[in-house]
Amino acid sequence: MSAPTKGTNDQIVLDNVSKFYGEVLGVNRIDLTIPPGITGLVGPNGSGKTTLMNLLVGLLRPSAGTVSVRGLSPDRPETMFREIGFATQVDAFPTGVTGFEFVELLLRVYGFSASDAKARATKALDRVGLTEAGGRKVAGYSKGMRQRIKLAQAMAHDPSVLILDEPLNGLDPMARAEVIALFRELSTAGKHVLVSSHILHEVDLISDQVVLLNGGYVVAEGEIGGVRDEMEEEHPVQVMIRCDQPSLLASKLFEADHVVEARITNDRRGLLVSTKDADGFHLLLNRIVLENNLAVESIVPADADVHAVYQYLIEQGGR
Amino acid sequence: MSAAISNPVPASPATPIAVGEPAPGSAALRRRQLAAIIRMELKKGFFGKRAIGLWLLALAPPAMLALRLFFTRDTRGDSIAELFDLAQAQAIFAGAIYQAFLLRVIVFLGCVGIFGNLIRREVLDRTLHYYFLAPIRREILVLGKYLTGLIVAGFLFGLSTVASFLLTFAPIPGGTRFLLQGPGLGHLFAYVATTLLACVGYGAIFLTLGFFFRSPAIPALLIFGWEGIHFLLPPLLKKASVIHYLQSLMPVPVSDGPLALLSDAPSKPVAVIGLLIFAGLLVAISARRARGMEIKYEED
Repeated sequence: MSAPTKGTNDQIVLDNVSKFYGEVLGVNRIDLTIPPGITGLVGPNGSGKTTLMNLLVGLLRPSAGTVSVRGLSPDRPETMFREIGFATQVDAFPTGVTGFEFVELLLRVYGFSASDAKARATKALDRVGLTEAGGRKVAGYSKGMRQRIKLAQAMAHDPSVLILDEPLNGLDPMARAEVIALFRELSTAGKHVLVSSHILHEVDLISDQVVLLNGGYVVAEGEIGGVRDEMEEEHPVQVMIRCDQPSLLASKLFEADHVVEARITNDRRGLLVSTKDADGFHLLLNRIVLENNLAVESIVPADADVHAVYQYLIEQGGR
Repeated sequence: MSAAISNPVPASPATPIAVGEPAPGSAALRRRQLAAIIRMELKKGFFGKRAIGLWLLALAPPAMLALRLFFTRDTRGDSIAELFDLAQAQAIFAGAIYQAFLLRVIVFLGCVGIFGNLIRREVLDRTLHYYFLAPIRREILVLGKYLTGLIVAGFLFGLSTVASFLLTFAPIPGGTRFLLQGPGLGHLFAYVATTLLACVGYGAIFLTLGFFFRSPAIPALLIFGWEGIHFLLPPLLKKASVIHYLQSLMPVPVSDGPLALLSDAPSKPVAVIGLLIFAGLLVAISARRARGMEIKYEED
């Protein structure tokens, strides 16, 4: 577990944070230091994702430990929430408001003047593609539109930290692509974008780093490649190589100690190799290809994504 | 296990404050936020779906008086209002209409509905987090909600008091003179002021109960009973009831009946200042409770 750096003003820091609901564990002994960029929070239902997000914004108070978001504490809401935008999973809105009113009225509560609130609300709705629907009641919105209006509300005050609980739920493919592009834009601007999801493919696609939670504990954190590398001993890295002579390649690869398995695919054009030393494997592969003049079509990591890490760490209980 | 998380991009500077905008934490910003909360809540308070019940409740006393006026006739076909003289009407309004019905039932129930739901309803509707995630002190939020409740309750039940008063006195012989040239307007002012102070006191109680009880129905029932039997209470315990202070503000004294235990009524200034301090304390307790309040709508 990485030691948290206290007092840093550009990082989210959870220092030995635990949350219990009576006897029930929410999260336990969380030590995290999250830099700007897109961070994916991954875990099965009940793993503590929402609890962790609620702790970050002070909707829940830790039973132990401290939380700091860019050097700010939830005990100082007047300064902290100028810097944070949070879109919860909760699909509820003040009754009777239009999309525009929802964003604009809350901006007034944030302290913006009437003209500034209107301008910001207009811009936020434009960013999520709801300009035309802004005048309609939120109650009549589709699930995807409600997700987008929550996103607009969360970022309308231009926070430096966006915390989004399952923000892609209910979005159609086009809207997903637009929202993911928006996350990238915010991340490039130096903001924190913390996204929870149980759709691993999406987390893999959008995240600069991931935090994997299970049963209230952080089971892994960091760049997904780095996390995967640390598991090489227990779970050898799998690489799929498509080439013209997979049998020859397999026989040469087996000369190395770190190669533990090599399987030729059914079409006899591919070879799935398991190795405990990814770096050594790639050096060896380059040498074999050159020495034997193999025609290589592709070399693709077969289990270096968040899905594989998730499966090894959570579904197989770390076995 | 762990891996160091790299820092891919530099952090952005803190959100800048626009030129001419009030600074975070300043009194000007807090006033602006308070006004925004009140504006947002007033719409719900007056025109939301749940406001219909409050309008009906507030209109009930004048509606009943109007119906009685038009449909209750004596054997000669004259309105029954004409059978009362001014002194009888004053006693009936003070005792039966205002204190027993409007103040103890209508205003009390209205305050349960308005103030008891200011926070609780937001939790049930799962919308409280929108306020809790705003850069605003929760004390300002509680104050804003309480003031909104006062405006809504004060308007509805103040209006109800005025309408009931006019419907009682205007039709009786000498009623118009009582209102325009006699002490009528002074009495009306005193009744409206009493209604507003009742909203201040009961409002603060039910705001606070909303923080401590999932449903305010049972504590409200207990308080209703306590207020109802206050005349039977010994002098010391009488002081722990809102109605004890409100009674001393009424322009026409009301007898509590032969079973009542007598005690000295507080002076008007003591009653007003006492109720305001009592309400202030309860709002402060509510604000403190809100500051440490957690929200957990559902399991993740």
